[in-house]
Amino acid sequence: MPDNHDIALNFQLPENLKVKKFLARLDEQVSIHISSEQYSLKNYYDSFDWRLYQAGYLCEFLQSKTTSKLILLDIETEKPLLSADLDKMPSLLDEFENPAIKRMLSPVLEMRALNCLTSLPFQSYQINVLNKDQKTTVRILLEDYEALPARATIQPIKGYDKSCIRISELLTDTLELKRVKKNILQAALKLQGRKPLDYSSKLKIQLDPSMRADIASKYIYSCLLQNIKVNEAGTIADTDSEFLHDFRVAVRRTRSGLSQLKEILPIDKTASFSEYFAWLGQITSLTRDLDVYLLDFPTFESTLPENMKQAITPLHNFLKVRQVKAQKELAGKLKSPEYVLRLQEWEEYLKEPAAKKPLEANALLTIKQVADKRIWKVYQRVLKDGNAIDNDSPAEALHDLRKTCKKLRYLMEFFQSMYDETTINHAIKSLKKFQDILGTFQDCEVQEHALIQFGEDMRNEKTPTETFLAMGILVQHLQQRQQLARLDFSGRFDMFQSTENQAEYKKLFSEKN
Amino acid sequence: MTVIAAYSIKGGVGKTSTAVNLAYLAANSGYKTLIWDLDPQGASTFYFRIKPKVKGGSKKLIAGERDLDGLIKGSDFANLDVLPADFSFRNLDLVLDSRKKPKQRLEKLLKPVDKEYDLIVLDCPPNISLLSEAVFAASDILLSPIIPTTLSLRTLEQLKKFIKDNKLEHLKLAPFFSMTDRRKKMHRDIMQSLFDEHPDLLQSAVPYASDIERMGLERMPLGGFINKSRSTDAYQALWRELQDLME
Ligand SMILES: Nc1ncnc2c1ncn2[C@@H]1O[C@H](COP(=O)(O)OP(=O)(O)OP(=O)(O)O)[C@@H](O)[C@H]1O
Ligand SMILES: [Mg+2]
Repeated sequence: MPDNHDIALNFQLPENLKVKKFLARLDEQVSIHISSEQYSLKNYYDSFDWRLYQAGYLCEFLQSKTTSKLILLDIETEKPLLSADLDKMPSLLDEFENPAIKRMLSPVLEMRALNCLTSLPFQSYQINVLNKDQKTTVRILLEDYEALPARATIQPIKGYDKSCIRISELLTDTLELKRVKKNILQAALKLQGRKPLDYSSKLKIQLDPSMRADIASKYIYSCLLQNIKVNEAGTIADTDSEFLHDFRVAVRRTRSGLSQLKEILPIDKTASFSEYFAWLGQITSLTRDLDVYLLDFPTFESTLPENMKQAITPLHNFLKVRQVKAQKELAGKLKSPEYVLRLQEWEEYLKEPAAKKPLEANALLTIKQVADKRIWKVYQRVLKDGNAIDNDSPAEALHDLRKTCKKLRYLMEFFQSMYDETTINHAIKSLKKFQDILGTFQDCEVQEHALIQFGEDMRNEKTPTETFLAMGILVQHLQQRQQLARLDFSGRFDMFQSTENQAEYKKLFSEKN
Repeated sequence: MTVIAAYSIKGGVGKTSTAVNLAYLAANSGYKTLIWDLDPQGASTFYFRIKPKVKGGSKKLIAGERDLDGLIKGSDFANLDVLPADFSFRNLDLVLDSRKKPKQRLEKLLKPVDKEYDLIVLDCPPNISLLSEAVFAASDILLSPIIPTTLSLRTLEQLKKFIKDNKLEHLKLAPFFSMTDRRKKMHRDIMQSLFDEHPDLLQSAVPYASDIERMGLERMPLGGFINKSRSTDAYQALWRELQDLME
């Protein structure tokens, strides 16, 4: 294909130019043949957190009388990366039969469900521009949308560059079409008042450092509440496992805020809402645990020798049955007045204007003062507790350190916007790396115990002996991994408390300017 | 990538019709396909309504001065491109002869488009010449139409001998019956005896049919203007047999 960089290929019809009129005017200029005209439906898909978009993919599902196919386009170049016939758009990756689609989507989409962002009905015209031998030298795809301006796309044919340039000029100059970026998704989302990447599980709270602490903390809680609310429906419907995950993260962050940002909001309020969010954490935990085991199942399988992989299928069934049950119960609770009304109260409380003369000692500090002080304090504690851990320390010490690190992490994420971007990102990254080892250590232990417990429970279910053998291997494997994590600990901690890192933290949170 | 040459020592036996329809069927079943019209008469170029013109002519083409990809034209059909003929191809033999290693020339020219196509079909002019030897070297399958006449046996044997004498072991000869007429007793008899003597003959035969002749008026492969007929079935069967050979 020739380089079409500077030749305009994508156009939009002016509002007042009807498609029939456009075709008539085009026909006056060049010899055309409409090879097909049909009603079509273009649907765009992505995960709730825009994974495809972030990876640079645009996922189109195109339906008409004669076709039904999935097209994956590169957002930048608009070139199709993959096109495959598909009857129905599945939700989860496992439900795709086409291996090429699976291969492309799986590293990006992972466990997330695809949901339909928008459906655009349109009349599509495939127009061939012919030369005097009635040979097609360039094609124009005309899409007459019901809710958006019609679009014309030039499809060049190899070896007929001149014709392509001529048509491009004709559309621009004579027919006065407007050049556009091909991707119509943005225009369609705009109709719904949305835009791409309008949800992310990452916190993006913009804070003014001079804000009053009580006002700022309410603002932080409001952002978290927003995340709780947008993930609620997907959690109840069990669209995919990550709705609940993000829901829980927002709940945990709220709890962490309530307990750490002390003497800013009235104690009676913080105490009673803390209780509520603790309850929310508790009612969601069983489902999440089971989700995690199911998500990790392929990893479990991969640690088993080939001839034993089959043997843990009963465990999968066992988990699935329990997950379905737990999820149902959870969904019920999230529809109950207990949950709904209290959340409303929280929302209303956050909306209440701040007291003119708050009684709480820290309420009138700036949020930056609170942030610096608090982060510095928790950071010091991480260093102190970390240094107190040696090879003989009990597992408990590592678990506690993990909790403290989590607190530190949440604080840094809340207040991220008030610090130099590169520096704080780097600091968060080094913390994250350190947290990983603590996470592995704890997860292995929790999973070990859970597997043993599952084994107990499965004894009554006529489970074959091989299954228990396989589970035994899994437990052993987890123990090994946990030990490795334990051995890795001091090295990782030294990395985290390196001189440079300490200097970075000091510069960020403790130097007065 | 597989290279199939539609070739025969004899003229007017159905090489072009076969090349054009097979290329169409291959493209239709998802193979990225290129048909290269090596015949100065430009019959297959004509069937695709493309101008029989190659910038720089045979000289620059064979010299490799023009990048092959830049000379290729998209056909009106998905997955199907055409490298058109040019009147200067009438002296392809002379041009080839003036080069070092003339027999390896076509193969070398095709190298750069190797990745772009799953299948390349060469539509060759008749007779044995330097060009045909270059075609043999570049091809994986030599698809040779045979009209069931008394002479055809001799032609087939000549071709086999040539392949053997020149030790073209990489080349699969795929002879098949073309323009057959089941009503003619002579055709039936000759086909029977040739099948017995040459078990490598393909099973599918393309019958003599008026819709194949009509391609010249329509200027399209059969599939472009009829859905299904005895002829389309025959080419389809031939294509299936070739796919087996390609594996
Ligand atoms: N199966 C067939 N039935 C009827 N007519 C046919 C058939 N195959 C080819 N023809 C006609 O016979 C003539 C020669 O066919 P074609 O051009 O395919 O042969 P060719 O071997 O390529 O000829 P040349 O050696 O001139 O290149 C054409 O007019 C074509 O339409
Ligand atoms: Mg011919």
